[in-house]
Amino acid sequence: MIASIRQSLRRKVLLLVLASTVAALALSALGLVIYDLRAYERQWTNDLNTQAELLARTSAAALSFGDRETATRDLGVLKVRPRVTEAAIYTREGELFSTYTKAGTARANFPQRPEADGYRIEGDDLLIFRRVVEGSEPIGTIYLRAYYRPWDRLFDYLGILGAVMIASLGVAALLSGWLQRAVTQPILDVSRVARQVIDHHDYSLRAAKNTDDEIGELVDSFNAMLAEAGRRADALREADRRKDEFLATLAHELRNPLAPLRNSLEILRMPEANEAMRDKARQMMERQVAQMVRLVDDLLDVSRITTGKLGIRKSLLEVQAVVRDALETIRPYVESRNHQLEVQMPSQPLTVEGDRTRLAQVFANLVHNAAKYTDPGGYITLSLAAEGDEAVVRVRDNGIGLAPESIGAIFDMFVQVDRSLERQQAGLGVGLTLSRQLVGLHNGTITAKSEGVGKGSEFTVRLPLAGATLPEPKAQAPRPRAGQRRRILLADDNADFASSLAAVLSARGHEVRVARDGAEALAAAAAFNPDFAFLDIGMPKVHGYEVARRLRELPATAECVLVAVTGWGHEDDRNRAREAGFDRHLVKPVDAADIDTILESY
Amino acid sequence: MPRRRFLRMLLCIAAGITAATALAQREAPEASVKAAFLYKFANYIEWPANAFAAPSAPLVIGVAGSDEVATELERIAPGRNVNGHPVSVKRLREGESPRGTHLLFIGRENAAAAAMLRAARDNAVLAITESERGLEMGSAINFVTAGDRVAFEVSLEAAEKTGHRISSRMLAVARRVVPKAS
Repeated sequence: MIASIRQSLRRKVLLLVLASTVAALALSALGLVIYDLRAYERQWTNDLNTQAELLARTSAAALSFGDRETATRDLGVLKVRPRVTEAAIYTREGELFSTYTKAGTARANFPQRPEADGYRIEGDDLLIFRRVVEGSEPIGTIYLRAYYRPWDRLFDYLGILGAVMIASLGVAALLSGWLQRAVTQPILDVSRVARQVIDHHDYSLRAAKNTDDEIGELVDSFNAMLAEAGRRADALREADRRKDEFLATLAHELRNPLAPLRNSLEILRMPEANEAMRDKARQMMERQVAQMVRLVDDLLDVSRITTGKLGIRKSLLEVQAVVRDALETIRPYVESRNHQLEVQMPSQPLTVEGDRTRLAQVFANLVHNAAKYTDPGGYITLSLAAEGDEAVVRVRDNGIGLAPESIGAIFDMFVQVDRSLERQQAGLGVGLTLSRQLVGLHNGTITAKSEGVGKGSEFTVRLPLAGATLPEPKAQAPRPRAGQRRRILLADDNADFASSLAAVLSARGHEVRVARDGAEALAAAAAFNPDFAFLDIGMPKVHGYEVARRLRELPATAECVLVAVTGWGHEDDRNRAREAGFDRHLVKPVDAADIDTILESY
Repeated sequence: MPRRRFLRMLLCIAAGITAATALAQREAPEASVKAAFLYKFANYIEWPANAFAAPSAPLVIGVAGSDEVATELERIAPGRNVNGHPVSVKRLREGESPRGTHLLFIGRENAAAAAMLRAARDNAVLAITESERGLEMGSAINFVTAGDRVAFEVSLEAAEKTGHRISSRMLAVARRVVPKAS
């Protein structure tokens, strides 16, 4: 392929140079020939006129005094003008007085009578007539006949032009060879390097740069592109490797809780197990399930990060409250590792605009990391302070610290600082990535610093303070009567989920009906007249949106509280659910606590 | 091209007329040829600075001793001019001074040719003779006969004495040229 390119490029360059050379030469030759033929005629006639004039003056006396010999002698000077073939002097009366014929001319062809002054072209000859004047009196006429062959001259020109053209084409061929070396060779080099890179995946190859012109610029750009492509290939490989590691970790992490769960189930099944053993088994199951839920939540967040659908809902928040939320969830873990946790917060409230759950997640994650990467019995501090117009949260530990070279990478997806440590709570390596994304969505920053390995680390989150302060909390709405008996319709094609949830809700004194698809849900609703309907969206026969719309149309269920249950918490889903008539929206997995919250708010 | 055809027609007519005249001249006696030559010589002669009183003053050709030539000249002179000088003819009697003439033709019949030549030289008049030894006698131009043709010879020496210069073109036609006195 390169050979054919070289051929075609060389041919094009050659053609270009040859075509322009030929065109330039032909045009200039045409112009020259036209100019020269005109100039030739003018010059030749002027020349002959001058000759005729001279002869007229010289031979005036001879003609005047009737001296033919002298006149013939005068005409004889024409033998030095070989192109003059014949000449004659006519008397005033128009008779031939004297003649001249060039030696070797076959047949003289003197006009019978002289003509008026001037010249004319007759065939290949130029004829000149010139009056001979004595004093002011005309006494005769000079006649000259000379070769006039512009075609001869034209052919001479064409010959010269041909020679010049051949020489020029030779030069042009040389030039095009030079051009080929100067222009196409570097391009071919670039092409060859590109081919090698593609064949061998070696991004360290570079095209040689020999000139500083446009070609050099092309080579530079090409090399820069190679460097960039190399960086990207490396980054892709790295990302791929991390994803593989992540998958291995994920499988491991998901597998881990299953053994204790199965063991606990065995204990519960054993008839000889006493109540204390059963209770212990239940607690173990709860812990392990909580761990799995946390893992799967992380997974969902990872998916949202990679698809760019991680969203937050902002409202005015007091940072102290968010920190307290975070500590509430993380304190049991910190205590389980026997760490001492010190919290410093200013007394006056710091307000930011943000998503309370997500920010709490960030702070909890930082404390969780601190606890995880510090050997048991460590010391962790969390401090909150206002610095300028920012709220700054610092989480410091005296744990394993960070190597300087890894500080930049720890926020990348799936990176874990110390994979070699077979820590029980290894996690998925997405916490800091998620945290950085979340803080970014709050227009904040998150940074890490460490004195070095073994010297502890410090993470700092900076969030812009909101200008407005938190509005006074509204008067507490009267809490719904706890334990009130509700009529609840659960519609979900997952029978296990529906029936287990129904069992929990029934145990709390509610009246519950279960439907396995949309049609059943509509039928049940008409007969049962529920206060609440929890509807799965992706149901067979009639999907959740349709069910909701029909329920809204029925007088019996027009006032029913409709709750959509979906696998995805995207804003689109929420909007669609609202349009279909849903009052609330829950993201799977739904547990009894979520339902309690909704039941209590009505 | 009607214009050119018209010109040619005109030329033909003119040529016809001149041919007729030439026919008459060829048969003309020697005297008329000499008269024509006399008149033509004037075209090839450079006159002394004071020869003419005015640019349009007449060129006077004196004729002594040749009634035939004088008659011919008188016939052809009217209406002719040489370099703006109208040509006139003056017959000179024997012994009459050539003063006032520019050219003096001394015919063969003139007995006192030598005296006339002297008078011509004294009055800065270019003398023309038609005798065999004309130049030796002191004339500037002398007619000779070559076969059936009238020819002439020139003495630059004599012409220089009277302050005249003769064109080399005329010398080219002369039978013989006596050079200037060195």
